[in-house]
Amino acid sequence: MHRTKTVRAAVAAAAVAIAALAAGPLAGAGAATRAATPAQARPEAPSRSGRTDGFPVSLPSQGGTVVVPSRPDRILSLSPSATQMLYAIGAGKQVVGVDKYSTYPPDAPRTKFTGGETNAEGYLPLHPDLVLMAFPSGTVVKQLTLLHIPVLVLPPASGLAQADQQVHELGRATGHVAQAGQVVASFMADVHKEAASAGGAGRGKTYYIELSPDYYTATSRTFIGAELSLFGMKDIADPAGRGTGYPQISAEYVLHANPYYVFLADTVCCSATPASFGHRPGFSALSAVRDHRVVGVNDSVASQWGPHTVESFVGLIARLLRR
Amino acid sequence: MSLTARAGAGARAGTGPEDRAAPASLAGPVTRVPGRLALPDESKALPLQPARLRARHVVPAVAFLLVAATASLVTGPAGLSPLGVVEEVASKLPLLHVHSPLGPTGSVVVWQLRMPEMVLGLLVGAVLAVSGASYQGVFLNPLADPYLLGVASGAGLGATLAIVSGAGTGSATSTVPPAAFAGAVVAVGATFALSRSRHGRSAASLLLAGIAVAAFFTAVQTFLMQEHSSIELQAIYTWLLGGLSTAGWSQVLLVLPYIAASSAVLLCARRLLDTMSVGDEEAMALGLSVRHARLVVIGAATLGTAAAVSVSGLIGFVGIIVPHAIRLLAGPSYRRLVPLSLLYGGGFLVLADVVARTALSPQEVPLGVVTAFLGAPFFLVVLRQSRKLT
Repeated sequence: MHRTKTVRAAVAAAAVAIAALAAGPLAGAGAATRAATPAQARPEAPSRSGRTDGFPVSLPSQGGTVVVPSRPDRILSLSPSATQMLYAIGAGKQVVGVDKYSTYPPDAPRTKFTGGETNAEGYLPLHPDLVLMAFPSGTVVKQLTLLHIPVLVLPPASGLAQADQQVHELGRATGHVAQAGQVVASFMADVHKEAASAGGAGRGKTYYIELSPDYYTATSRTFIGAELSLFGMKDIADPAGRGTGYPQISAEYVLHANPYYVFLADTVCCSATPASFGHRPGFSALSAVRDHRVVGVNDSVASQWGPHTVESFVGLIARLLRR
Repeated sequence: MSLTARAGAGARAGTGPEDRAAPASLAGPVTRVPGRLALPDESKALPLQPARLRARHVVPAVAFLLVAATASLVTGPAGLSPLGVVEEVASKLPLLHVHSPLGPTGSVVVWQLRMPEMVLGLLVGAVLAVSGASYQGVFLNPLADPYLLGVASGAGLGATLAIVSGAGTGSATSTVPPAAFAGAVVAVGATFALSRSRHGRSAASLLLAGIAVAAFFTAVQTFLMQEHSSIELQAIYTWLLGGLSTAGWSQVLLVLPYIAASSAVLLCARRLLDTMSVGDEEAMALGLSVRHARLVVIGAATLGTAAAVSVSGLIGFVGIIVPHAIRLLAGPSYRRLVPLSLLYGGGFLVLADVVARTALSPQEVPLGVVTAFLGAPFFLVVLRQSRKLT
């Protein structure tokens, strides 16, 4: 007898569950939408970008707006590229911490942070008043927003113009608008001068840039691809990059495309060398292997779009082509 | 079905008689093995008493939960003093006139970061453990876990879709939970729809349909991951490995109704689970509509699991190790197992989260790694124990 009772109780509870189901998503969705646009909830005076210190400054980030209320003097940069930009525009003195991958400039105050933390609490002992990130994890941006710490997300640039745009944004965020303008102008001049110095030696030459030994690569719609496009070079991965600038191709694809140049940007992570590349099955037939045009480069050239990395990579390619 | 039923009944050593005569002791199942063959004698020898939940089971469980919750609130890299956190919490309680020593930032850390994460851990751990226990009951299989019917693969595909379609816009954190939840419900729905064979729906056909659906959804997810870049891959992996990263209370409120309803149903069904544990035919002989009971239990466990997975990703082992640990400690009756799974499951996951956050601070270990790292060795112990039983 009591068994039927239990069944009835269970069925009643199931009915409660269904009722909760109907109400749940609506309530949840509302909460999520509210939380997603916290910066817009606080009306702030519009920024006057004409003045060097026109704080508060509103900046676009992740499809929303971030407000930097006053000139930050405790910046935490969790992106090696942003670190390079900050020091280039003269905001280095305002930096209190950089992530462990920010190796340039060498005297930047490195921390153990990777920038991929899912909990923002660890950043608090540094008392940051501006956090810069490239790849925020989980809900860390939301957590920082709850803590009233502005966080600016600067994702990997899709080209040099976007990298310059980020320098301008950092200029506004840190109160160095004029210096940012100068840095961008001289950077572009330098980069184009280097590209011109190759005298068209790279025009039409195909290349494959390897990001990992399992054939992850970059197309010309990335900053590294844009740097090589300056020389008129052509990326073999362009037809493969549907919807992503960093597709995975295959050994067969590389063999079929037979690139003129091979750049190995997995020398640090995965110990790739021109010799080991040439020893992969069938790769001895590649013209780049036969004619010694496989070049090992530091992994950072494909993961950092700061002015220092870009200029040194462009310089390296120019020297290679001038040979 | 008969295969699973026999294996399950064997490994759990006579659950049926257990709930009738159950003076639970620490080594409960081991000592009772000889008596299993001589069932009538045993029931004569021991006074007939139901396996009720007693204070000696509940008090340690609640104490464990409180210790875990306190540990979670007072640990963190922000440099708040543990006593300060306790005073901050006390200052918000009615009737207590405690002044909090923490500033506004500390207050946000306690109430918007640590507290929601702790509560989320309690909810997710509780529902995973109780769902795991229930699955083990309805499928009569000690290895059943809450992801059995495609919840994990469906949620994984939903989360992957949300991450790749919202890439770079920052919307992923708010779209992933609903997408993962929808994916989980679709996958389990597909499992149910496909499990109807000519002979109706048996536990075995459900399991097989679940395997097929999981394989299909995982294939689609792997394809999508292949098509996208390392940045999105990192976000997907972070989600897959599981974690309680939360900001504010929105995620807690999102899953609370499902988890509360699911837990309530399973609490009500704990007697049903005891009856089902004797096997389909025996349970039917006892007057139970096994098919309907199984549907209710599986439905409730799956909804709760889907909600948990949608906010926390795939956290393995909680649904297996917690119920088995309780079986060792308090005996296999579901009348104890279900409520104790809720308490110990919540406490275990909160403690695992503390380990995940502090072991390699400031680096965080994925929560799924911690639960499996603690869970795998424990599981071997459980296996050794069950080998002794059979």
